[in-house]
Amino acid sequence: MIRYLTRRLLLFIPTLVVISLLAFIISVNAPGDPVERMISLSASEGQGQQNQNESGQRAYWRTKLGLDLPVFYFSLRPLSEPKALSKIYDAAEKTSVQKLSRETGNPNTAIAFHNARLEFLSAISSQNDSISNLLFADAHSLKYAATTEEISNRLKRLHTELDRSENYRLTELLKTTEVKFLEYKSETSSFRNFIPVVSFNKSNQYHRWFFGDGNWITGKGAVHSRGIIRGDFGISYLNRQPVSMVIGEKVGWSLFFSLASVLIAYIISIPIGVWAGARKDSKFDNISSISLFILYSLPSFWLATLLLMTFANPDIMHWFPASGIKPVFGYPDGASIWQKFSLSLPYMILPLICYTYSSFAILSRTLRVAVLENMSQDYIRTAMAKGLPFHLVVFRHAFSNSLLPLITVFANVFPLAIGGSVILETIFTIPGMGFETVHSIQNQNYPMIVAIFTITGMLTMTGYLVSDILYAIADPRITFDKR
Amino acid sequence: MTKQQSPFRESLSRLLKRRTVVVALVWLTIMLAIALLAPILANDKPFYISIQGHNFFPSLSGEEEALITDPKTGIETRINFSDLSESIRKEATILNSPIHFSPHKSDLNNADYVGPFDQQYGDGGKEISGLEKHLLGTGRRGEDIMAGMIHGSRVSMTVGILSMTIAGIIGLALGAMAGYFGDNKLKLSKGRMIMTTLGILPAWFYGFQLRTFELEAAVKSSPVNLIFQLIISLVLFLGIMFLFNRLGKLLHIIKWFKKESFVMMDTIISRFIEILISLPKLILIISVAAISKPSLVNLILIIGFTSWTEIARFTRAEMLRVRSLDYIQSARSLGYPEIRILFLHALPNAIAPALITISFGIAGAILMESALSFLGIGVPPDIATWGSLLSAGKENFSAWWLVVFPGIAIFLTVTSFNLLGEGLRDAFDPKLKS
Repeated sequence: MIRYLTRRLLLFIPTLVVISLLAFIISVNAPGDPVERMISLSASEGQGQQNQNESGQRAYWRTKLGLDLPVFYFSLRPLSEPKALSKIYDAAEKTSVQKLSRETGNPNTAIAFHNARLEFLSAISSQNDSISNLLFADAHSLKYAATTEEISNRLKRLHTELDRSENYRLTELLKTTEVKFLEYKSETSSFRNFIPVVSFNKSNQYHRWFFGDGNWITGKGAVHSRGIIRGDFGISYLNRQPVSMVIGEKVGWSLFFSLASVLIAYIISIPIGVWAGARKDSKFDNISSISLFILYSLPSFWLATLLLMTFANPDIMHWFPASGIKPVFGYPDGASIWQKFSLSLPYMILPLICYTYSSFAILSRTLRVAVLENMSQDYIRTAMAKGLPFHLVVFRHAFSNSLLPLITVFANVFPLAIGGSVILETIFTIPGMGFETVHSIQNQNYPMIVAIFTITGMLTMTGYLVSDILYAIADPRITFDKR
Repeated sequence: MTKQQSPFRESLSRLLKRRTVVVALVWLTIMLAIALLAPILANDKPFYISIQGHNFFPSLSGEEEALITDPKTGIETRINFSDLSESIRKEATILNSPIHFSPHKSDLNNADYVGPFDQQYGDGGKEISGLEKHLLGTGRRGEDIMAGMIHGSRVSMTVGILSMTIAGIIGLALGAMAGYFGDNKLKLSKGRMIMTTLGILPAWFYGFQLRTFELEAAVKSSPVNLIFQLIISLVLFLGIMFLFNRLGKLLHIIKWFKKESFVMMDTIISRFIEILISLPKLILIISVAAISKPSLVNLILIIGFTSWTEIARFTRAEMLRVRSLDYIQSARSLGYPEIRILFLHALPNAIAPALITISFGIAGAILMESALSFLGIGVPPDIATWGSLLSAGKENFSAWWLVVFPGIAIFLTVTSFNLLGEGLRDAFDPKLKS
């Protein structure tokens, strides 16, 4: 048992790594620029670092979100690519430098040329009033130009335009840029493209995201992030609250519905499943089998819509409210828990039906099969032969040996609580985690999506671990040492 | 004495004896036929049109319009197939598509939720009847629900079958390898094992990293080009891995590298499956759908790459049984290579559990696709699917036809695949044979 537990716990670690890596890949590949999101958010809220200039804000958020770091512990690149590439933040700029350095296979001259053109651009934008827009636009596209042909065209145009304006400083800078460009063009060593280099980065985005930027075990000294390992999932794009706080607010209803539905499913399915299994091919077995099968393949979103259409429709039967979880104007002041519950009850009935029916269908069906298999065992025949009443045989002997499906269903409760039933919560507008998931996707709130994915993954994993341990307790015959 | 049947045929006839399975198969065949013929069945362009000696099959070819010249007068006329003018209608021989509406095309005469039993109007305020009508009613913009359902079956069937094909290939290959080789059959010298593992890095580098820009350009151009470029990358990747594997032989000069040890195939694959099972599938699909552009290809790939674990597990268990059978031993004694025995002799006998899981898997994939398009995640909004029709019905509960018909289609198709899976399980389960 202990050996098994240690083996299971050891498997926990690679699973955690895979889940965190997947979540990290999702968050890195999320479209849009997190820095811009943060800046526009603080601008629209009219608070925060308003007195700071824009580039200062950018730099602040870049360090805060750790985007100036290399992505992972190690990186593989061709020898032709400059190592400083991870310092370039703008994606289009990065691609441009990458393409340039690959074209000649020379990282140093490419970076030198890139710096020269950046300096030229910043010189132009700093004296914007005396400079024509055309010049600025050309300099701006020079920054992203990725082929030698395009660059030389741009340079030529800039040259003719600058000749007219007689601005000595800019002409000087343009000349340096041209010299750097000539240097860049003169030396070609394409063979460097084909030599892979591995470089290791001690501090990187993944490490920062997972462990925070303090000490990676104790978490002391963290300035920007404490890491997801300590529950810091970053800041929601929607309201700039910490993601973990939003989850804490939303998880209640999801937890309630998943727990309540499992309890109800147990209460209904245990008698049905056990009785159908004990009396195979009886009328009860046949009818329940067919209806359970139908329930099992009934899509929950269809049933939910049908229920809403019939029982929350002013034209047919307006028995239940169509959406929400509590009265529109909230609970009255000083209402007791019982009062709150009775006020919310009509809102909960339709969702609970939809939450419950599929798990009770699965549960009853698996219970029936388990009981069926046990009923043909010798010990049941012995129990019958010694004159035990039939219902006692079934519930005391057959049922207690068919507990495994109950455990499996229970293991799914907790991941369901965080992931929420995405579909049902959306249909019934229950303010839980599932609704939050869809809301986050519609508003591109990626930190929230990544957090939900990570936590659900960990809870699924824990659920499997707990259910395996419960298996061993419920059925001592299960030995895990040799599976 | 009765004639001896092969076990497979025996199982097959047992399968077809079940009435539910036959009904399910009939329904699935109909659905498949509708899915295949969808553009012909429901299209606002006619199936066949013959005018002034020119013949067109617009719904088959998908062409929007054509330019014809009258052989006698030489006058050119432009024909818009979706909206034939009255003069062309009179002149030409036309064979209309059975449902002469396209999904998503609005019919302004019958806009704003007209039910199947309500009065419906054609051009000029005439009342229409019979097959001319919107048989299953219309949606808010007057789009035909029947046409949407027919084209929606195409999406559901494609997603279900293609994603499970991907899952089936991965699951069968990995499961068969895990079960057949186990932990103590595949031997490799230490030198070659180490070199192959080291080879992953350069293989990735030359196969994919160096080709980033080519691959990026291919993603933007066309699926065919993308597949072509991906195949080049894969060939490079595998070629370099193979090269490193061979290079491992050079290390054999040192004695330690020559020692052979077992490749723990079963352990590696089983652990990998256990890790994958712990991933929350729906949330994973939703997250990936959130960061990528909505497209059916993405959806199929994600469902395919996350659903193979069950297939692999069952195939592995079955393979453990098959590999100890006598005929495998005799094939081995004949000196066939292991890979050939595995895929040509052992795997065909271990395919039944995979078939069962695939059948349930298709049901799950269809359910997943319709749920996602119901939520409006992952499926492009301009494609009519059963799920998106249903979610349109959520906006207006008096339009019951928007909720009932797509729901029935989803329910029946999912149930049919589930019934087929149950039937297969009972037919192929050796426990029930006695």
